Amino acid sequence: MSDSSDAPDASDGGSGDESWQTRADRALGRLVDASAAERILISFAALGLSVVVGAVIVLVSGWVATCDSPFFAMAGVGSFCYDPIAVYRVMLVGAAWPPYNFAITLKETTLLLFTGLSVAVAFRAGMFNIGTQGQLLLGALGTALSVLWVAPFVPAGVVGGVLLIAVGLLVGGLVGGLWGALPGALKAYADANEVITTIMLNFVATGIAFTLVSEVFKDPESQTVQTRAIPSFAQLQAVFFDSTVFSMFALVGALALVGGVYWMLNGTSFGFDLRTSGVQPEAAEYGGVDSKQMMVSSMAVSGALAGFGGAVYVLMVASRWQTGIPSLGFDGITVSILAGNNPLGVVPAALLFGALKTGSLAIEFQLAVPKQLVGVLRGLIILFIAMPEFFRMVGARFSFGDDQQTVATDGGEATATAGETADGAATPADEPTDGTTGGNEGGDER
Amino acid sequence: MSYAEPTRKQRWLAGAAVLIVAALLAVELFFPESPVSEIVRIVDANYVRSVLRLAVPIAFAALGGIFAEKSGVINIGLEGLLIISAFTSIAVAGTISGGNPTQLELWVGFFAAVLTSVLFALLFAVVCIEFKADQIIAGLAVWLIALGLAPFASKVIWGQVNSPPVATLNNFNLGFIEMNPPVVMMLLSVPAAWWALNRTAFGRWIEASGENPKALDTVGVDVRKVRYSGVLLSGFFSGLGGAGLALGRVGQFIGGGATMVNGRGWIGITAYLFGNYNPIGAFGASFLFASLDALQIRLQQLGYSIPSELIGIIPYVTVIVVLAFVGRTRIPDAAGDHYESGEE
Repeated sequence: MSDSSDAPDASDGGSGDESWQTRADRALGRLVDASAAERILISFAALGLSVVVGAVIVLVSGWVATCDSPFFAMAGVGSFCYDPIAVYRVMLVGAAWPPYNFAITLKETTLLLFTGLSVAVAFRAGMFNIGTQGQLLLGALGTALSVLWVAPFVPAGVVGGVLLIAVGLLVGGLVGGLWGALPGALKAYADANEVITTIMLNFVATGIAFTLVSEVFKDPESQTVQTRAIPSFAQLQAVFFDSTVFSMFALVGALALVGGVYWMLNGTSFGFDLRTSGVQPEAAEYGGVDSKQMMVSSMAVSGALAGFGGAVYVLMVASRWQTGIPSLGFDGITVSILAGNNPLGVVPAALLFGALKTGSLAIEFQLAVPKQLVGVLRGLIILFIAMPEFFRMVGARFSFGDDQQTVATDGGEATATAGETADGAATPADEPTDGTTGGNEGGDER
Repeated sequence: MSYAEPTRKQRWLAGAAVLIVAALLAVELFFPESPVSEIVRIVDANYVRSVLRLAVPIAFAALGGIFAEKSGVINIGLEGLLIISAFTSIAVAGTISGGNPTQLELWVGFFAAVLTSVLFALLFAVVCIEFKADQIIAGLAVWLIALGLAPFASKVIWGQVNSPPVATLNNFNLGFIEMNPPVVMMLLSVPAAWWALNRTAFGRWIEASGENPKALDTVGVDVRKVRYSGVLLSGFFSGLGGAGLALGRVGQFIGGGATMVNGRGWIGITAYLFGNYNPIGAFGASFLFASLDALQIRLQQLGYSIPSELIGIIPYVTVIVVLAFVGRTRIPDAAGDHYESGEE
């Protein structure tokens, strides 16, 4: 027992006064470092496992629930109300058919593209932005108020609509960006942990928005807390599906933003600095990056993306600010983690989650299975992605290489010199940390 | 060592708090007609009682978080554990009684909730310790799972995300004073936790497991077991907090929005960071946050036309300000790191 000579040196050298957030950053670094191929595999495996566990939850809840016609009953065991296979089938089919449902799926996908990108950018910069929801909420309020304020000064029609949409997007992004910059600044200059502050700021944003609307900007004709509706010519118009909730313009814009963010991260020096300060803060500092400024600006960019999401929510879906904005921000966390924090990966992840959300409406409508099931799946996916080691162990068991030696995966830190990061950043896939993978997935990359 | 010693900033904050209290008392003394005096007069025995009741979920979450993080596992899933236990307590008490639970059935619900919370913590521990999951992300997952699972199960059981109301636990009659049972448990748990951490071998193991697991391993103590017990204790305390919130005060599970727990687990994390991992300090911070919450409720009752939602954000703003002021607390050296014993 005491023969611990080859125990990995879990505590890294020298930094005895390391803070909570530094550790969180390092954990993030590990997450960002895993190779692309491995991460795709892990995402799929996590997805598959969540589906399986979700099915068990459906079975058990069907056993608890009471219903007239259970799909399966056995003496001594009881009756099961919900058939997991039917649940998943309805979920998938319901996401695409009838066409109106497909429009809802695309609507959800569009919104999740914004929040997924928002979380991904922060993640890449080494920041946990749990505050996307609050940034989106205030961005939405900014959009609704600015459009309502400017509307009387522009002509009704296409020209006015384009103007109003531009104003709305601008203000939404600005408000979201400022609200996002706040936890960034708190972390940079007051050393306040951004995981906690962003969560707290969500509650604060909800309170502020509710108060502002209920006390100042309330629609006098409405019982509920909401602003007046923006003029219909300021709403993003549907092109296909004749849908009231989905606009092709918004989806195309969101996809363009995906390209833009990808280019920003991989093609600009700002993106380079952002990524290096996320993966190897010391190296970034050495290379002349002001890490404090980087914390603020990356969170501002992240918040602005969330704010755009809020703007599109108002311009496309709700046409006003109202209480009970859906938890797009929290879903964005799942989307980003599922996408491996890669902007391009956000597209399929957002589509999948958009489909799941529409499908959840279908299962509630058709099978009476509560739509909150998607919330459970969301948590499960994150949980499983958090434990790549589990899949490595399973992988090692079922494949040739059982020589998997899982030592501390943060060994890459020691090699942080400026020169190496320049290489590493060009091809993030070949970080030294992957030498430990061993098992099946590792084969792809060497 | 200077581990539990207050930092300079904390002394400064404590001094400022004392000054504010003194100033308020002076106003009360010299200007009894002013609105400030009216607010000061809120503070009476009833106010303290309601503060204690409001502090229950925060303080228990904080106590749990201390054990987990001191042993080397950062558990930011405390909010989720509170949600799970609040839900389970009402669900079990309601189900076994058919809707109108007796005191005994309420207690059964209470302990079932604590057990469920411990089981969830065990899951989190397995994921973090056996499968070396990233603790922050796994903790986030625990929160999100609870945030989805509790309303989902509510709908399965009651057809809506909120449960029907049930009775709450009767007060303990301690002869000279009647007290809310979860409050009594909290007032006992705080010194007990302090004693366990500072005066027992187990406390030393917890401390070593978070500071220098290798040394603990070398003297023949199983680091894994110590960390498991730290995390399980966080589940135990969170269970008491969530069930205490649901059965001790509210008498219902509310699953809409951020659920009835509404961020108290997160405030609990801030409370122990503020209290520098000392149970008594953490309790003090929980008391502070709860007193703001209680003040907010009283101000509404007094009919001040400040919108309730705006006053409702005061605790959260305070948390942010406190975090910004106290900022860096010194966390256990090996917290967040995986440890593998030499023997494999």
